[in-house]
Amino acid sequence: MKRFGWPWIVAVSVLVAPSAGAETRPQYGGTLHVAIREAPASIDPSPGAGNGPEADSFAERSVLGLIFETLVTIDDRGRIHSGLAADWQAAAGNQRWQFRLRRGVKFHDGSALTAEVAASSLRTANPSWKIFAEGDSVIVERDTADPSLPAELGLLRNSIVKRNSGGKLSGTGPFHIEDWQAGKKLTVGAEENHWRGRPFVDRIEVEMGRNFHEQLVELEMGKADLVEVSPEQLHRVTMEGRRVSSSQPMELVALVFGSDAQTAEEKLLRGALAHSVERASMRSVLLQGAGQEAATILPNWLSGYGFTFSSGANLREARQEREQVHSAPRWTVGYDANDSMARVLVERVALNAKDAGLILQPTTGNADLRLLRIPLASADPWIALANVARTLGIAMPKVTGTSVEDLYGAERGLLAGERLIPLFHLPVDCASSPGLRDFRPGADGSWRLAEVWLEKEKP
Amino acid sequence: MRSTRCLKAGMNLFLFLLLWCSLVGSASAGEWNGPSQLLARKIVAVTGPGAVAVTVENRSSLAKQDVDAVGGLVRMELETLGARPATLEQAAAAVAVTLSENPQFYVWVAEIRQGAREASVVMVSIARGDESGFEREAMPLGLRRIPLWAQEDRILDVLVIEEDAAPRQIAVLDGDRVAIYRLKNGKWQPEQSLGITHGRPWPQDLRGRVLAAGTKDHLLEVFLPGVFCQSTSSLPLALNCRESDDPWPLAAKSANGFAPSGGAPAIPPLGGFYSATRNFFTGALTPGVGKLTTVDKFYSAAPLPRESYVLWLFAATDGEMHLVDGITDQVAKLGWGSDVASLKSACGAGRQVLATSAAEHGAGNDTDSVRAYEIADRDPVPVSTALDFSGEVTALWTEAKGESAIAIVRNRETGDYEAFRLAVDCSR
Repeated sequence: MKRFGWPWIVAVSVLVAPSAGAETRPQYGGTLHVAIREAPASIDPSPGAGNGPEADSFAERSVLGLIFETLVTIDDRGRIHSGLAADWQAAAGNQRWQFRLRRGVKFHDGSALTAEVAASSLRTANPSWKIFAEGDSVIVERDTADPSLPAELGLLRNSIVKRNSGGKLSGTGPFHIEDWQAGKKLTVGAEENHWRGRPFVDRIEVEMGRNFHEQLVELEMGKADLVEVSPEQLHRVTMEGRRVSSSQPMELVALVFGSDAQTAEEKLLRGALAHSVERASMRSVLLQGAGQEAATILPNWLSGYGFTFSSGANLREARQEREQVHSAPRWTVGYDANDSMARVLVERVALNAKDAGLILQPTTGNADLRLLRIPLASADPWIALANVARTLGIAMPKVTGTSVEDLYGAERGLLAGERLIPLFHLPVDCASSPGLRDFRPGADGSWRLAEVWLEKEKP
Repeated sequence: MRSTRCLKAGMNLFLFLLLWCSLVGSASAGEWNGPSQLLARKIVAVTGPGAVAVTVENRSSLAKQDVDAVGGLVRMELETLGARPATLEQAAAAVAVTLSENPQFYVWVAEIRQGAREASVVMVSIARGDESGFEREAMPLGLRRIPLWAQEDRILDVLVIEEDAAPRQIAVLDGDRVAIYRLKNGKWQPEQSLGITHGRPWPQDLRGRVLAAGTKDHLLEVFLPGVFCQSTSSLPLALNCRESDDPWPLAAKSANGFAPSGGAPAIPPLGGFYSATRNFFTGALTPGVGKLTTVDKFYSAAPLPRESYVLWLFAATDGEMHLVDGITDQVAKLGWGSDVASLKSACGAGRQVLATSAAEHGAGNDTDSVRAYEIADRDPVPVSTALDFSGEVTALWTEAKGESAIAIVRNRETGDYEAFRLAVDCSR
């Protein structure tokens, strides 16, 4: 049996590849300069640590993942690999899980990683779980069977963090904190004795709070080696011959209501809105062809069944649904004032809705529904789905199995409340300098900066 | 009327047998049989027996022959369950089967439309196995490659311990162990796994060598950053490792050394000191090349024996190639990659240098190639077309006999590491 390759992995690609230097083995040394849009107030990866609603965002994953590590890691295929845990096993019923810690791992403060510290860290992130140390292992006990627990522990929010007196945080990652200016700049240095081997670059400086335009300017001026690229910039940046890398579509753009539809009329109106949106033309014009039109929470590459949901506009059906309701309220639709893409998308949604007889008023303040950009948390579809539900405060439907059909059922259940209208799945795009080598962002959008190296300038 | 019916039935039977024969002939049919039956049962649970119009579309990485096999199996099972094939106009239900996938499963979806009702969706999923696509065949590109081994963990080196016409026993080195395999009935069977102990963490871009010790007390020698291991000589083997900064052999020991062709002098043993915390040789040599005992830090080295001296090529960490003859150290910008190895052959000048390409990894085209060159004086001339690999070449080491090299490739699509033996193919 001969099968073709893995097109979904190939999508993690660099669109433009300039000529390279001769050496192909990684070189040690240098400082990597990174600019990002986010400006986290805290470097604590645990939930509720002051980083706002965008916990587990791509930037956090990439930057905080340099400092903190998880018990397990998840690869591009959603497979679980050992991280700080050397191995793990579940007791019958998948309620009690034992994670045996890797030996010889040390925190950046020099202390050893112990089961007690790991358990304490996980308890902070998951106060409702029963977690305790037992010998060299961490035991997690859940109320019900939880076959996805290892994948859950691969999320950044479940990083093992040592909280010293005085609130100082220490991790076990490949880089230690050298300087932290909240929301402005993070400098990390290579950890000489990291258990996976010392990173190639000596230091990484992360400038925070830079908008997309500022980031590109910094890249052009040689002040940054790696910057984010917004979807609407992607086409131009590629045409300019810059090196652009894209992940698989991992960000959900959706219209989200504050609660489930309460009445049949409300359900009809939300259906009318969903059917009125012309995703194809929005993607073509406003997103410059980036991303994929979406009618599901999970992108098709992650679920395998996304194509069964239609994302095409159906104005006739939208009008029929609208006409079944005597009077429609005037909805306000909110968006992030700092996100220019969100603004143009919302304005176009309002125009489409008008064609169906609905009135939407864009606003940057409180609103009846909001346009949200929700980073999918994991290449594990169950975890990704559960995290979207958690982010939106929607109860995850109860399912008995773990098959793809069960996943389909769970996603249909989440969408049935008409709480959200998926619009697009966007990849994570970034541009890098020619000197940045071996940069291979993950399918999940993570940057994996511990593996990159900088080509030294030739005289 | 009756004869027409009989003719129709005969034709149906013939078509059924034709389909059955073609499916039985397909290697995939057996593998897809179970899920195809399950999907058909789920479809019939919705449609019930009757006329159905079935279409099959592929949105996955399955090859056409597999898609055809699955489509045939589903249709056959539907018929068995009473769902007769029909045109869309005649059918009570339209079934659109889509072969899709996600990273872990093939996802086969059937969308069933019956009248104006909303489509019903049923599906089955099949775990995707290891698809290394690792095929044991040679690529006739001037350089011959023979697949030896593939695994998920990073392979550092492979030693062919025993061979006749083909390798019979190999030792595979990775960061945790030396695994010994023996070819039995055409398949590699694990024989023994020898754990490697080390006190400090391995550096990234880990490199290492497993070599035949060539002594009666030891069978294997393993060189890793800051660690040296020796095995016992008789089975079952034991491997003893210790921290060590002993030099790694750059040219094999004289006992097993290269047998240079054409009356060229033997290659004196040369060792290079390897950094315990990095991915390169420090540049210190023992006993040295002529008068030179240090060169720039380098990733790899290859000897080219001349009439009265040995010209050494060092692929330095700055990307330049150093040609060292014992008196001079000439620097050349050849645009090669970081790994070089030299082979002796029965063709051309009798000795070729293999060099990896300078392709940039992580640039979407994570593929490397290896090409053979001859260096008559100091200018390399390519003598083979580039042999392309489906990923990055992570190691290239000359084997002890000097007639072949081991190339380790990280498959771009599967992430697996694949070990090949490379030799110059004189017949082309």
